[in-house]
Amino acid sequence: MAMDMDEMLQKIKDRQWALAEIDWEAPGAETISEEFKPKLKAFMADLCWIENVGARGFAAMAKKAPTPTIAEIYRYFHAEEQRHANAELALLKRWGMLEEGEIPEPNVNIRMAIEWLDTYADDMPLSVLGTVIPMLEVALDGALLKFLLEEVHDPVCHQVFEKINNDESRHIAVDFEVLDMIGHAKARKLAIDFVSNVATPGLIIGALMYIPLLNRIRNNLVDMGLQPEKLYRAMDRFEKLGNRGEYTHRVPLFQVLRVHAAMVVNPQHPYHLLANSMVALSERYPRALFRPIPSWFRELTYEPVTRSVKKGMNAA
Amino acid sequence: MTIPVKVHTTIVIGAGFTGLGTAIKLREAGIEDLVILERADRVGGTWRDATYPGAACDIPSQLYSFSFAKNPNWSRTYSPSAEICAHIEELAARFDLVKDIQFNTEVTKLEFEKREARWAVSAGPTTYYARTVVIASGPLSDASLPSIRGIDEYQGAKILSARWDHDVDLAGKSVAVIGTGASAVQIIPEMVKVAASVKVFQRTPGWVLPRANRRTPAVTKAVFERLPIVQQGARAALFLGHEAAATGLVWNTPITTLIQQVGKLHLRVAVKDKWLRRQLTPDFRAGCKRMLMSSDYYPALQRDNCKLITWPIATMTPEGIQTSDGLRHEVDAVVFATGYDVHLDGPPYPITGIDGQSLQEEWSGHPQAYKSASVHGYPNLFFTCGPNSGPGHNSLLVYVQGQIEYAVSGIRAVVEQDLRWLDVKKTVQDKYNVSMQKRLRSTTWMSGCASWYLTADGFNASMYPGFATQYLRQMQDFRLRDYEVASHAAQRLWNIPADASLQAVG
Repeated sequence: MAMDMDEMLQKIKDRQWALAEIDWEAPGAETISEEFKPKLKAFMADLCWIENVGARGFAAMAKKAPTPTIAEIYRYFHAEEQRHANAELALLKRWGMLEEGEIPEPNVNIRMAIEWLDTYADDMPLSVLGTVIPMLEVALDGALLKFLLEEVHDPVCHQVFEKINNDESRHIAVDFEVLDMIGHAKARKLAIDFVSNVATPGLIIGALMYIPLLNRIRNNLVDMGLQPEKLYRAMDRFEKLGNRGEYTHRVPLFQVLRVHAAMVVNPQHPYHLLANSMVALSERYPRALFRPIPSWFRELTYEPVTRSVKKGMNAA
Repeated sequence: MTIPVKVHTTIVIGAGFTGLGTAIKLREAGIEDLVILERADRVGGTWRDATYPGAACDIPSQLYSFSFAKNPNWSRTYSPSAEICAHIEELAARFDLVKDIQFNTEVTKLEFEKREARWAVSAGPTTYYARTVVIASGPLSDASLPSIRGIDEYQGAKILSARWDHDVDLAGKSVAVIGTGASAVQIIPEMVKVAASVKVFQRTPGWVLPRANRRTPAVTKAVFERLPIVQQGARAALFLGHEAAATGLVWNTPITTLIQQVGKLHLRVAVKDKWLRRQLTPDFRAGCKRMLMSSDYYPALQRDNCKLITWPIATMTPEGIQTSDGLRHEVDAVVFATGYDVHLDGPPYPITGIDGQSLQEEWSGHPQAYKSASVHGYPNLFFTCGPNSGPGHNSLLVYVQGQIEYAVSGIRAVVEQDLRWLDVKKTVQDKYNVSMQKRLRSTTWMSGCASWYLTADGFNASMYPGFATQYLRQMQDFRLRDYEVASHAAQRLWNIPADASLQAVG
């Protein structure tokens, strides 16, 4: 049965939470060992920036939502991804991994994702964004968060991620519902959308950005001791959830991402040679070529309550 | 023994611009027996109440005034509210209207008494009677706090833009402004000058065009004073300029796109940051919602003590506002620049028609009238700012002037032809509204945005789909044949019972 989007929007409005509801000084921070801290900091920084990148994706989707209610839902999801990123920063702060006013540096692949989003996302059709975003959400929800909760025993961290997980489950439900709606469109429109975008710089550069980003995360996780199977299981979920929809299989990009996911989850696949060399290459990407970090990227904060005006606390 | 009640020729409800304008024109037409009911203790209407910092009209004052009661001394192109209110007070004095105004008299009920062919207008315990009534209570006269989650829990000062509380001193305070519409773009540039910090909570950005608000040179005022024809010429030029804008603001055309390009250029020049520009770029056609006119709004937003917040408001808390990005903003005061309670379903007091029917009920779905002024079943009642009378491109007062002229023609017909009543024919009203809705289809207002012009189900019962010139022409053409009329003479001649049904004599 189709989801009642008005009901979903109401549910979203009813379940808003604030950083201030969490006692960031509560005991438990000491459970993080000193040797684990640098790795956890890098992991959390990635996670936090990926949430922020996802937020920007929802901002783009709000502009092309098929109904005003879904546009409003995406407006909330945009904010909620930002909330997750803020909460993750606050955890970093709680664990003593951030100096006063410090914001962790985004890695080069994240920088590329930012540039891509800022340049192309608003012009991408819903059928592209609406397929890529669920993939990222599933991977995040399924792998990164589960892994974190297995490795970290700080009760505050668990409290935070319980809230984040609840939000994410609503995101994923809506994502796949919309993906199914996209698939319901006329085959001709789907084909035109796909063909007209597959050859655009936006999508080509997008793929060049997405492939190493995903593999870098995969490699980082494996370095930290995550069994890659967990990530793979998460990516399988993308296919499973998509196949539950009546029309999702008709979305061409869904099929592309499904096949791509199958390559990613197969460690023996020659794809990894390509993807890993792209990770290595991206490391050599001259930093001077990056444009200044957009101001939306500087809005993250670990401060639950503000009184005065702070224009991007991590602004230079 | 029954005491005969005084039945006036006309009751005018409201002593704002419209009410006083109606009274002036009624007097001019020789109708002296009128009473104006005003809920406040002085004249001025919306402009008496709109005292928020920066309050001003966003149509040039030369056009935002009556052509039959001009003011040569407007201080600026766009005059501040206090000056507009002073002008309205001056009109009341100049035309000696105060003697006809019953102040502190808030209308609570209107009922047509068929047998006596008169309107009973209740104001609390007192009832006034008149053969005709003009509703001039204005479209933007009521305002209330919006329904935001947790609003009752907030402990700081709550200030409604339409009813500014001047007892609250905002100097050096942290202030939140909710809303970014016509009032907000005037309030925010003033707030950033006095408050320590201003957080602006935006839901939907509007199209903002620059506004050149120049001081009127003394020589111009002197020329206007001595040569009214020059002032008339200036007014005519402004009128035509605004009429031209209808081609883009009323109808959804390539000119609309051109206006958007001007809006985008204004944004591009005024705002350096790309993301802030994106946050401020509207996603609806120009004209679909009210155009905003300001040259100091964008600079104000970029001041160090001001921040635009576009996250949804999750709830208000005792200390301030919680947004959906999980943050809480503590503030000393919240300014609700959330507009007015627009009564699309009729005035906020019950109106009962000739057969006991309720206007509010009839209008609860899709309000409609004939030429925005008459409604079938409510004889001798004239609306101003009625259904489908709003301009999207020109001065409201130009339209009001047309409505006044129409009401005066109707009232003259009642008086001069000794009519018991005139009631617009249902067929005429229906035909008019079919045409209105058909013409509305190609307008910017129906291009897909949600606005206060539309009812919840997207019906447009507020805007007039055309040039002001077209609207004025239809209002100048009062046709008795469009009405069912009952005359006193016929009743006397044929000895017809007073409550007999209507008969057409047109």
